[in-house]
Order: sequence, then C-alpha cells, then structure tokens
Amino acid sequence: MSTDTAADRRRESGSGGALSGVTRWVENLGETAFAYLLLTPVFVILGAIAFYPLLRTLELSMFADPYTDPQFIGLENYVALFDGGLNGFLPGTTTFLPSSLSLTAILRSSLMVTLIFTAVTVLFETVIGLGQALVLDQDFRGRRWVRVAIIIPWAVPIVIQGMIFLLMFQPNIGFATPFLADLGIIEGTNTLNDPWSSLFIVMIADIWKTSAFMALLILAGLQSIDRSLYNVAKVAGASKWQQFKLITFPLVLPTIGVAILFRTVAAMRVYGVIDTTSKCEVVPSLSCMVVANLGINTEVAAVIAFVTAIIIAAVVSVIIYQQYREGF
Amino acid sequence: MATESDSKTSDGPLNRWASRSIRNPERTYRAMFYVAAIFFIVTTMFPFYWLIVLALTPNNEILNGIGLVPEGFNVYAFVEVFQQVPFHFYMLNSFILATVTTVIVLFIASFAGYVFGRLEFPGRGVLMLLILAISYFPPAAFVVPLFDIFTGNSPIVVPFTEIALFTPPRLINTPAAMVLPFSALFLPLSIFVLTTFYGQIPDGLEDAARVEGTTRIGALFRVIIPLSAPGVATAGVLTFISVYNEYFFSQIMALGNDYTQWSPLVGGILSYQTQYTTSFNLFAAASIIGVLPVAILVIVAQERIVSGLTAGALKE
Amino acid sequence: MARVKLEHVTKRYEDVTAVDDMNLDIRDGEFVCLVGPSGCGKSTTMETIAGLTLPTEGEVWIGDREVTRLPPKDRGVAMVFQNIALFPHMNVKDNISFGLRLRKYDSEEIDRRVERASDIVQLEGMLERMPDEMSGGQRQRVAIARAIVRNPDVFLMDEPLANLDAKLRVHMRTELQRLHKELETTIIYVTHDQAEAMTMSDRIAVIDSGELQQIDPPLVCYNEPANLFVAGFIGSPSMNFTTGDVTESGFTSDSFDIEFDPARMGVSPGDHVTLGVRPEDVYPVDQRESVGHPSMRIDARTDVTEPMGDEIFVYLVTQEDIEMDFEAAEAGQLLMSVSPDSDVDVDQDIQVVLDRAKIHLFDSETGDAIQHGLVNPTSRDSTTEEAEAGSDD
Repeated sequence: MSTDTAADRRRESGSGGALSGVTRWVENLGETAFAYLLLTPVFVILGAIAFYPLLRTLELSMFADPYTDPQFIGLENYVALFDGGLNGFLPGTTTFLPSSLSLTAILRSSLMVTLIFTAVTVLFETVIGLGQALVLDQDFRGRRWVRVAIIIPWAVPIVIQGMIFLLMFQPNIGFATPFLADLGIIEGTNTLNDPWSSLFIVMIADIWKTSAFMALLILAGLQSIDRSLYNVAKVAGASKWQQFKLITFPLVLPTIGVAILFRTVAAMRVYGVIDTTSKCEVVPSLSCMVVANLGINTEVAAVIAFVTAIIIAAVVSVIIYQQYREGF
Repeated sequence: MATESDSKTSDGPLNRWASRSIRNPERTYRAMFYVAAIFFIVTTMFPFYWLIVLALTPNNEILNGIGLVPEGFNVYAFVEVFQQVPFHFYMLNSFILATVTTVIVLFIASFAGYVFGRLEFPGRGVLMLLILAISYFPPAAFVVPLFDIFTGNSPIVVPFTEIALFTPPRLINTPAAMVLPFSALFLPLSIFVLTTFYGQIPDGLEDAARVEGTTRIGALFRVIIPLSAPGVATAGVLTFISVYNEYFFSQIMALGNDYTQWSPLVGGILSYQTQYTTSFNLFAAASIIGVLPVAILVIVAQERIVSGLTAGALKE
Repeated sequence: MARVKLEHVTKRYEDVTAVDDMNLDIRDGEFVCLVGPSGCGKSTTMETIAGLTLPTEGEVWIGDREVTRLPPKDRGVAMVFQNIALFPHMNVKDNISFGLRLRKYDSEEIDRRVERASDIVQLEGMLERMPDEMSGGQRQRVAIARAIVRNPDVFLMDEPLANLDAKLRVHMRTELQRLHKELETTIIYVTHDQAEAMTMSDRIAVIDSGELQQIDPPLVCYNEPANLFVAGFIGSPSMNFTTGDVTESGFTSDSFDIEFDPARMGVSPGDHVTLGVRPEDVYPVDQRESVGHPSMRIDARTDVTEPMGDEIFVYLVTQEDIEMDFEAAEAGQLLMSVSPDSDVDVDQDIQVVLDRAKIHLFDSETGDAIQHGLVNPTSRDSTTEEAEAGSDD
C-alpha cells in the first residue's frame, strides 16, 4: 500500500479549503461553547418573537398613549383594568371583571368567561380523554382505525372546527339547536348571539377537538404501566373494576396531573373557535380582548395580554416545578 | 367466554344475556368496551358526517330545513367552492407557509436537539426549562408589539429605554409576518422530539464518523439525522399540521383575508362567512376540502403523531 | 506509520482528573496496549490521541506533527470501537468507504481500496450486506476494514473485542496480530483484560487512576512490576502479597519469615515492606528439590482447591486463627499453583516453600518495587533500571 501514502497524507491532514479556518475554529470549540453556538438560532428567534415582545408588552402596558404621546403611568392601567376603568375599550358590553355576581354579568366578564371555559373544558376533556385512552389501551381488531377516528378532531384546523360547530348550531339549519333548546339548555333563536348558548357551544367544540390530545397523553401513561402487575392482581382475585381502582388509576394519576396542567394553559388561549363560531362580543375570552384592541388601543391590549401572561405564568411555574422535581 | 354454550335454557334474550353476564363478568366488560368505543367513534366522526350532509344538499333545501340525511346529491358544491372564492390559492398559501416553517423549524431544532440530546454543558437544564416555559405562553402575550412592528408603524425599542434601534419594513400581509411567529411557536415541540431521538444514537457512531473524517456538525448531518429519520419525520409532520391548523397569527397577520396577501386557509374559510353569509353548503364543502390534507396525514402518520405528541408533552 | 507521543497530557473534568500528567512515547510500528481497570483513564487517554477529547494540558504528537488541537478527521488516525459503531443506515461497502468518500477519492480508487481492505479481513462477497444482517465477528471485520482502508498513520482500538464471545475473541486476537505484522502500522489498543494485553502487544502501558504506572514489554511487566498495582494487575490469578517488616535477618510477618541480607537488597531493618510472590512460585515442600533457591519451610493448611485442568489452585491459610477471606488475600493467606498430578487435599496440614529468586519486595508506603528476586541483587541493576527509565521520563 506504500504507493498510496503521499496522496493519503495530504488528504488525511485536511489541508486547504477556503472554509477550513471557520470549520477548524468551530471544531475546536469546547463542548460548552459549541453548545451555545448551535443554540444561537433558537435564542435569536425566541428572543425576537417571544422574550422581546413579552418585555415590550410589559413596558407598553405602563404607558398612556404609548405611541403618539407616551406618558409613563406605572401600574395605573392595571388599576383601571381591575376597577372597570378600561371596560369602555372592550368590545360590546363586555367587561374585565364582572360588574355584579349575576349570571349575566359573569358572562360579560372576559376573565370569568376564560376561567369558566378553562375549568369546564379541561374537566370534560380529562374524563372523556381517560375513557378514550382506556379504549385505545385494549387490544382489538381495528384498533388502528379507532385510533385514527379519535385523533382526527385534534388535527382539524381551528377555523374548520369553528365552522363545523357553526353549521351544527346555526339556528336556521343546525339540527342540534332545536333539540337542545327544547331541553332548555340553549336559546332556540339567535343562538350564536346569546352569551350562555355561545359559550356552551364553544366549550362543546373545544371538548370535541381536544379530548383526543388528552387521550394520547393518558394513553402514554397507561402503556408505561408494568403489565405483570395485572397478572399479580388477577392471581390475587381482583375484578376488572378493582384492577382499575387499585392499579391503573393510581399509577396513571401523575400523568393525568401533568396533562391537566398542560391543557389548562392551552385552554386559556382560546380565541379562534370563538371568532369563527360566534363573536368576541358574545363570548369575551382574554385573547379576544387583546385582539380587539390590537393596533387601536395598544396600552389596553398590552395590559390584558400581560395579565393573561401572568395568570399563565402562575400555572407554568407549577409545571416547571413538577418537571424540576422529576429531575429534568 | 368458553363457558357460554351451556346457558341456552333461559327464556328471553335479555334474560339470557343478563344471567350470562352475572356468571361471566368478562362479558359485561366486553359489552361496556364496545359501547364506549362506538360512542367515541360516533361523537368524533359525526360532525364530519354532518359536513357531508350539508355539502351534498343544495343550499335552498338546507334553508328550508334539513334532517340528518342529505336531501339531494349536489356534488357540484365542491366545484362551486373554487369558483366563488379562489379557495385553492388559500390552501396553496397554507401549504407554502407550513412547508417553509417546517423546514426552518427542523433546521434550527436539529441543532438544538443535538445540543440538548448529546452534549453536557452548564446551563443545559435551565435552558430547556426556559424553552419549555415559552412554549406554554399564549400567542396573545406576544402579539401586541409584534403587530405594531410588523405593520411597520413602530420601531424596535430596547424595552424600558427610549432607545429605538430601527424600524423594520412592513411585514404584515407577507409570509414573514406569519412564518416568524409560527417558527417560534412550534419550535419547542420539535426541539423536545428531536432531543429524545438524537439522544438515543450511540456515542460510538458519532465518534466513528468524526475519526473517519467529519466535523461534529458533519457527523450530525451524515449520521445522527439520517439515523433519526423517524424522529425528524415526526417533528416535521407535527409542525406542518400545527401551522396548517393555526388560527391566531394566520388571521391577524393577513389583514384582509386576501389570498394575494398570503392569507392562508383561515382567510379562505372566513371569506365565505363574510361574503356568502348563507351559502351553508359551500361552508361545508370548503371545510371538507380543507380538512382532507390533515386527515390524510393523520391516517398515514398516526404512529409518528402519537409518539411525537406524547414525547413532546410528557418530556421528563 | 508514525510515532505517537503524549507529553504531560492531563484531562480534568469539573471534579475529577481522568488523565494525570500522562507521558507516552510509542514507536513507529509498535503495538501498545493501554491496560487498566475500568475508569482508570485509558479510554480518555485514547480519546485525546484520537482528538475526540481535547486535553486540559499537555501536547499530543503524531509523527512529526503536534496535533493537540487538531480535529479527529485531520489527525490521520483510524479507530475501532468497542460497540463496533458501524453506521446502520449504510451497507458494508458504504461503511468501509465512508472516510474515503468524505475525502473525495474518485470511485475507482475507492473500489480498489475497499476490495483490498475487505480481502485483508476476509469479507469477500459481503459488501452489499447491511450491518444488521451480519454476525458480531463479521461486523468487527467491517469495522477493521473501515479503519485500514484509509492507510492511517495510527490505529486506535478501544476494546474492540469486548463485545465478542470468548471463542471469537481469541480468534480475533490472532487475526489482529496477523494484521499488525502485515501492515506494520502503529497500533494503540485499549483493554481492561490483562491477558489480551499480554498476548498481543509489544509493550504494555499499565494505567491506574489516570496515571501511567509502567510501560514495558509484557514479560518485563510480569517479572519486574514497577509497583504493587502493576504486580497485582498483571498476571492471573493475582500475585500474593504479605505485609511485614524488615529485620536484621530478612523479612518477618504474622504468616511467615524469609531470610536475606537486608543491606544487599536495598532495605534496612525496621522498613515496612510488602512481599509479593506469584502463585506458581509457591511449591509444596516435597518439590523443593526442583526449586533453585527455596525459602524456609512455611507451615500452612489447605483450605480450598480449584482444579483448572492444567494446574490446580490451592488456597493456603498460613495463620491458624484466620478466617478465609478472598477479599483481603494478603492477610494470612497464600495462593499456590501446582501441577495437576499433585496430591493435594483440602484441610490438610502442609509445608510450602517460596522460590526466593521470584520474590518481590515493595515499599509498603509508596507501593514502589524495591527488589525483584532475593538471590542475585545485581540482576536488578541490569534490567529494572531500564524498565524504570521507560516509565519515568
């Protein structure tokens, strides 16, 4: 092989190449410097689209008239938001906090509507998701297709989800409205302009679409349960229900907890399905209130956006704490 | 189940079933399982059936009142959809935006996944938590300054100072105004999926590639990424579906729901609502067409989606 | 074809020092084994040569180039890994030619070289197979072919046989030796298996706690270990150690005494020393005629015997009240290896002698060897000095 050696030496020593200087520099970086170099694009884009806007939102929320005649007013916008002083900027007759404790007033409050929406949808999605997960955890013929059927709503674009439920509950055509109106659950006419009926429909739409996501998370938890535990239980004479109560449920509970937190922060973003099916004036979610003031009353949009961020940050810190305890 | 045959002596079918069930609880559970499975399939699939009913029924029939079966077979609605509104252009915009975002996200997330999955360095845990935290925040928390900047009305200012850095060009109604937020929004999920996959490639393979003649980055592209093809596909499919389904920025950053100004699927569907307020059959037909691409993706890539969603969400 | 030199190479991680001031000078064409227990720093040492790990301090030289900061690809080294590390998404040919393709060799040249490399490791007709269609031995051959196809200056092998079954491992050992003879390329070979190191290498570098203990030809390491660690690590079963004191008339311990003249052996009365003797240098008293320089008789009792076929290991208790404890073999115990036809039974009282020419003395505090053989001290000056010169500079 000695004839090859001269050429080999040149190729092996990696000489030449215009880029070799940069490559060499990158290649010789220590592990830490190399890691941070490769993470630069992530932090550039997250910095520009997430961190910077978040800080800037906080800043804007502390000004009166931030663009044309900026005056720093500290937390006055926040005070005004909570004592109703900003309600005039919100669309229609909506408010931030409820003006009284009547149901009508509560359904006008964007904070309350968001919280109700979140609590109700997450509760039902958890129960239905657990049911779906238990079905998918079984072995049966056609499981693949049942799984597709259950996941597909998750993959439906929000605008189409909204359209589907508009078409089901539009009082002129929807089959569901007369039926539910007879039961007294929703209004029979002008349904999609009625605050309670619209909130109800929007919640149904969200539960339909998002239960599958819950089901997948819970299914992952179910499938990590050691199957031999069930054999132990069977030998001990436990019925199916006892097996569920004593083994399945306690072992899948931590997963359900994580999934609930995860869904809670996602549910508080609700906007698209409201915008498509009904209107922001009818079902005033927090995101709705931000969009309504976008580019018009920047400081109002900013203060609501930041309050939303704070509420979510509280939930997020619980999640982070959980993750941290499990040793990320 | 094997012991059922000896119970044929009871009277009515219900009695028979009941007495068998009592003796054999397995049977009851089986029955409960089928009831539950059928219930879930019906509830998830029924809305799609309703779309088909509406799309096939001529609109005047719909306005006269409609039951649970189609009254007519008006396939023409699926043609009319494209005539009334250039729906195909909206969908094309969605495809382009989703594809571009997916490429950007996969590229950036590959570096990050490599770093988090394969390197040990101070700050690793904190940075991952930071990215995780960002992924939880709602788009509404970012949109206010972004909207003002993308409309070109407001300069980029160092927060809490009056120092204006520069005023970027008007990005609203261009792909950039959507691709940028999409990329930031969906980057974390791909990072977590790829971190999981890249972390599983044995160290020896990377070392072998480097001794054989690649740089560290070369080893990433020649060995780690090809070996993680399922993971890359998972991240790609999830990102594509997420962008295609996105509502918030898709609606806000394309002002006029105008396909010539990059308005995607959202704008297409909404423009029926605003322009043809009572053409319900067209709403339904457009919705069916809009849902088809993701439905096909779900059927083809369901394993990937399931593993990716659970890996990304239940990241430990 | 190159000399490899490490000069004061140190690798520190946050709280541990994996390699501590390592100096190695490996000659062109030499086959050197880095051997030591797991976690001793031998793999890290190899990684600094490959460039997969950059040393905290010190220099690495390959041939006449200083390569300390050079990336692995530019060092002219090829490596065979413990887990074989074939690229599972490439067939055999693509695996072998990976490095050539990266270096933009033309396809005819690649074919020619792959052909030759696969001939050398006897992989004819398997070039189109995928790694997961091959046996462990075949995969290892592919990994070796991938290493030799580039004509590297140095082969680095990190426990390449560790994942093979015992029979194949012995076979591959001879294959590697044949390969070394054929290619005459420098080979640096990491293993924790001292027997592997003994059989294959020109020199053994024994490493412990990140420090080089001794680098010498296998028999020098065996016969003249530089310190207690090397003495205990090289050779199987391990050397017997007994701690005791030097007196006017020789060595004394709780177990037995050995007579010698301290002044001639480089020790003085009162020194704490450890006496070492290999199991095969312990003889039953009835064979003392065959021993050149037998010691005084030592009273013992046989405890357990392990017939190995070609020899029998006999565990002896040299102190009456001692509990048998395999963990602390030096306290009152002695392992003896005798020929299989010996008549030894368990729980027998027996007298044994040591071959004084094969007794080693070590300083109990530092562990350093003081004397190899208690018969002719002049021999120490001729051979051990050389061995020490190899390990100390």
